[in-house]
Amino acid sequence: MSAVLEVRDLHVEFAGAEAVAGVGFELAAGETLGIVGESGSGKSTTALALLRMLPAGGRISVGSVLLDGQDLATLPEPALRAVRGRRIAMIFQDPMSSLNPVLTVGRQLDEALRAHGSDGRAKRAARAVELLDLVGIPDAARRLRDHPHQFSGGQRQRVMIALALAGDPDVLVADEPTTALDPTVQQQILRLLERINRERGTALVLISHDLGVIAQTCRRVLVMHQGRVVEHGPTEEVLTRPRHTYTARLLAAVPRLDEPSSAAAHATPAGDPLLTVSGLRGTYGPRRRPVTALDGVDLVLRPGETLGLVGESGSGKSTLARALVRAHPPTAGDIRYRGEDLAVSRAARREIQMVFQDPYSSLNPRMTVGQILAEPLIAHGLGDRAERSPRVAELLRQVGLDPASADRHPRAFSGGQRQRIGIARALAPRPSVLICDEPVSALDVSVQAQMLDLLAGLQRDLGLAILFIAHDLAVVRQVSHRIAVMHQGRIVETGPADQIVTDPGHPYTAALLAAVPHLTTRSTV
Amino acid sequence: MRTFLLKRLPSALLVLLAASFLIFLILRLIPGDPATSLAGPDAGPEAVAAVRARLGLDQPLPGQYLHWLGHLVTGNLGPSYAIGGQVADLIGEGLGNTVELALGAVVLVIALALPLGVLGATVRRGPVAAAVRALTTAVLAVPPFVTGVLLVLVFAVTLRLLPPGGHESILDQPDIGVQYLLLPAVCLALPSAAVLARYLGDGLERALAEDYVRTATALGVSRRRIVWLHALPNALPSAITVLGLQIGQLLGGAVLVEAIFAWPGLGQLAEQGVLRRDYPVVQDLLLLLVAVYVAVQLLTDLAYAWSDPRIRWE
Amino acid sequence: MTTLAVRLPLPAGLRTVRGATGITLVGAVVLAGLLAPVLTGTDPTAQSSLALAGPSGNHLFGTDDLGRDLFSRVLYGIRTDLLIGLTAVPAGALSGCALALLSGLSRWADLAVQRVFDLLLAFPGLILALAVTAVLGPGRWPVIIVIALAEIPGFGRQLRAGILVQREREYALAARVGGASRLRVLLRHVLPNAVDPLIVQSAVALSLAVFIEGAMSFLGVGVRPPEPSLGGILSQSTAYLATHPAFAAAPLIAVTALVLGLTLIAEALNEGIRR
Repeated sequence: MSAVLEVRDLHVEFAGAEAVAGVGFELAAGETLGIVGESGSGKSTTALALLRMLPAGGRISVGSVLLDGQDLATLPEPALRAVRGRRIAMIFQDPMSSLNPVLTVGRQLDEALRAHGSDGRAKRAARAVELLDLVGIPDAARRLRDHPHQFSGGQRQRVMIALALAGDPDVLVADEPTTALDPTVQQQILRLLERINRERGTALVLISHDLGVIAQTCRRVLVMHQGRVVEHGPTEEVLTRPRHTYTARLLAAVPRLDEPSSAAAHATPAGDPLLTVSGLRGTYGPRRRPVTALDGVDLVLRPGETLGLVGESGSGKSTLARALVRAHPPTAGDIRYRGEDLAVSRAARREIQMVFQDPYSSLNPRMTVGQILAEPLIAHGLGDRAERSPRVAELLRQVGLDPASADRHPRAFSGGQRQRIGIARALAPRPSVLICDEPVSALDVSVQAQMLDLLAGLQRDLGLAILFIAHDLAVVRQVSHRIAVMHQGRIVETGPADQIVTDPGHPYTAALLAAVPHLTTRSTV
Repeated sequence: MRTFLLKRLPSALLVLLAASFLIFLILRLIPGDPATSLAGPDAGPEAVAAVRARLGLDQPLPGQYLHWLGHLVTGNLGPSYAIGGQVADLIGEGLGNTVELALGAVVLVIALALPLGVLGATVRRGPVAAAVRALTTAVLAVPPFVTGVLLVLVFAVTLRLLPPGGHESILDQPDIGVQYLLLPAVCLALPSAAVLARYLGDGLERALAEDYVRTATALGVSRRRIVWLHALPNALPSAITVLGLQIGQLLGGAVLVEAIFAWPGLGQLAEQGVLRRDYPVVQDLLLLLVAVYVAVQLLTDLAYAWSDPRIRWE
Repeated sequence: MTTLAVRLPLPAGLRTVRGATGITLVGAVVLAGLLAPVLTGTDPTAQSSLALAGPSGNHLFGTDDLGRDLFSRVLYGIRTDLLIGLTAVPAGALSGCALALLSGLSRWADLAVQRVFDLLLAFPGLILALAVTAVLGPGRWPVIIVIALAEIPGFGRQLRAGILVQREREYALAARVGGASRLRVLLRHVLPNAVDPLIVQSAVALSLAVFIEGAMSFLGVGVRPPEPSLGGILSQSTAYLATHPAFAAAPLIAVTALVLGLTLIAEALNEGIRR
């Protein structure tokens, strides 16, 4: 097999700083290659450099990208345009923003087809239907007239793949194609990519932070770290016998679905329930056409317990979290804190605190960390000015940050450090219940592992009850005593964490479990 | 579309009603009595009282207000106090001319702003971009009445290409009418065109940085098609909103331009009406302009919704 | 250095060529106005028989149709315009912002405030100016009131839009969950993150103030003569534009420099925010 794509000693610079330093690999026709790495590893920059589509300020400083012997790194722009989409195509992470919101899907497919040959409008329209059909959009002919927002998230990514296939390329570069999608949808998209690779012989370069995704889809893998390739080889070999310490560390940090829960080792739930939710209903959206988000939810949370709540987007788990901190009033049912109605309990307001998903938007950029941590203290009248600053220092120490960093702004911290600040803020009024809404899903796996350790330690030391909301079943199993599975506004199943994973009682739970990519390699093709 | 209008109409009517109330109040606050000035300097108290009674000015204010609203609803605007003739006729005469001026200006605004905006966003560096920026900045930095006077000086006085002022109906004599229309329309259009070109350029620049443009680039779509077909439709909705606001400003600006170019439109009528304390003329005129503004905003909202499929389908 | 950059993110935009040019232009005009009593000893309202004279040693910019010294009139005119702008713009800005904050408190207040903005925008500015002047009589105050009214919706809508965006950010929810009251979230958390565009708006508003002052003078309802204002001198000069162009030069340069400078500052600040 000859190499269709050959990358030699690729260097990419952004304003003098090297983002990619000496990446090289070969891709044979019809092959699959995964590039894995954490944020800042240069994997996405490498992907964009393959089509020479670097954002402003970036340039390929050294090296070549040979597509069938033609060097894309030096090709003039018009010639490059003839190659993009025709010989090498790309799909992106966020299918919503990557599709043009004001053009119909048919129009966008037509544009893609038109860019490489003008068969005539009727022929292109027929081809567009074929493409939508190929990627598994039902009723393709009719859907050509629809706009992207009328498709579901998974369908949008299918449309994106159809666009990429319009020019019948030899190489398809997929940059985190399933990161924005739910596990079951992710599974479908990965299957589609596999099928395209198998049936059409399109070589696939899959960029992902998720080793499981790569393991399932790619036969070879490239591990990137700080702009360099630290390891390169057949996926099975790299995953089972990593030679580089970084790869080994990465593998060790990935939560495994088949590992039993470690929650019991940190804390034992005991005593009367802190939180009792019964028959909770809630809606969101405009008053005239409300969408039901919660459709009769019951759950119980005890002191020292971690209850994992899993579900896909739209299952109602975030609405539930917001109802518990009284940010979103439910329409029916009740929430009790230590037997007292949440709506009238003054203690509950202080006792139930929340950790947010996004470590960037959840901290006020105009305030120093000290001010951010002091806010809940001021709001609840806890201590005077003199007592607050030692408390802030104590909180920072508690989450593993330097107390001296209190007068810096959030922007001076990394994502993981910011999430620690978010946890410190939640701890400030000494709560007994912590609602964590996807607290680690925006973080790299190694940072994620540290954050889970921190939460476990805090639970052990402070006896916190934690409602841990996440979509990643492996993470949830690791940290939870019990797991509740949420689907379409209801809790379909609750039980001990290990039992839910090993012996699911509800078909939806089983489907969720089946969709988790395992760290076992793809069977030979 | 019907539900869309039904949703927005009540607030539009509310604004109109509030405006009518304010207009009525402001005019009653103007010192001096129109009856006294109408009756003439030599009139005795009885004569003044008679005039007052004839005009309904002896009624209590709420009565006068309701009376006026009643007139508006029936369409019978009544006679003017001081200028002479029926209010409806006076406004009708001026309205045609002002609409002619405003429409001419709107056409110019779009014709100037579209290419300038696209040019400003696509050629981000180099002399062309600098020239576009300098041009729009310069237009924004010179007061419109100065622009007007300079236009007259250059094109009418020095070059003698166009008449310095006045009006000929463009419907009766298109070739001559256009000559009279050109300078005032340009003067009225320039600031709005500069503002719109800026917004359009900024919006287009933002759209060109979006992910879907990256997608189109990755598919090998040409730069020209990306700008005009992929990015521009995304920049249009907000540009339409700005255009709507600018059209509203044009109506206000017309007062000034009509004064400079002796254009017999509503602005001139308003000026006379205020100076001569002709309540009915000013009242009806102000309310008409507010109504036109509100209608333009409704149309803008409709156009916005039409240009954005995400709203269109809701 | 870093703390300065964090505390004052805006002036970074002013360190560009565009920003520096803007500041220089505005600074020069403002300084000329402030130093008017030092720079000239001539009374700006003193008439003489020497009408419509060109620039000379005695009269740096020449004289106007009533023989008054244009140099002194332009300098004092700048003072008038600055005084009007610096009274009217803050008044309009504060009223607009107060309304926007009010709209942040409840849904009903929001609906009402939006209609108020609509109403203010719907009034054709210059006809409103005519009416206000008819009520109050010509002078400085009607000009200030008209400008302030015209600025309210600009500031108000901008702040309202900023509040709407910032309020949906997670930090606002976090503050609420942390126990802060609705008002405290609005004032302490949301407002500081929404004010940046208002600083740009201030520069735009000041240039608009100069325009409105000029337009009102042109229609004969501006600052009462013989008190000098830039718009007043300019509108006076237009009658002589064909015969004595020098008359218009000085006020035109002052107005253009002021507005151009403000426009450049606004643009530079805007770029700074976007970055």
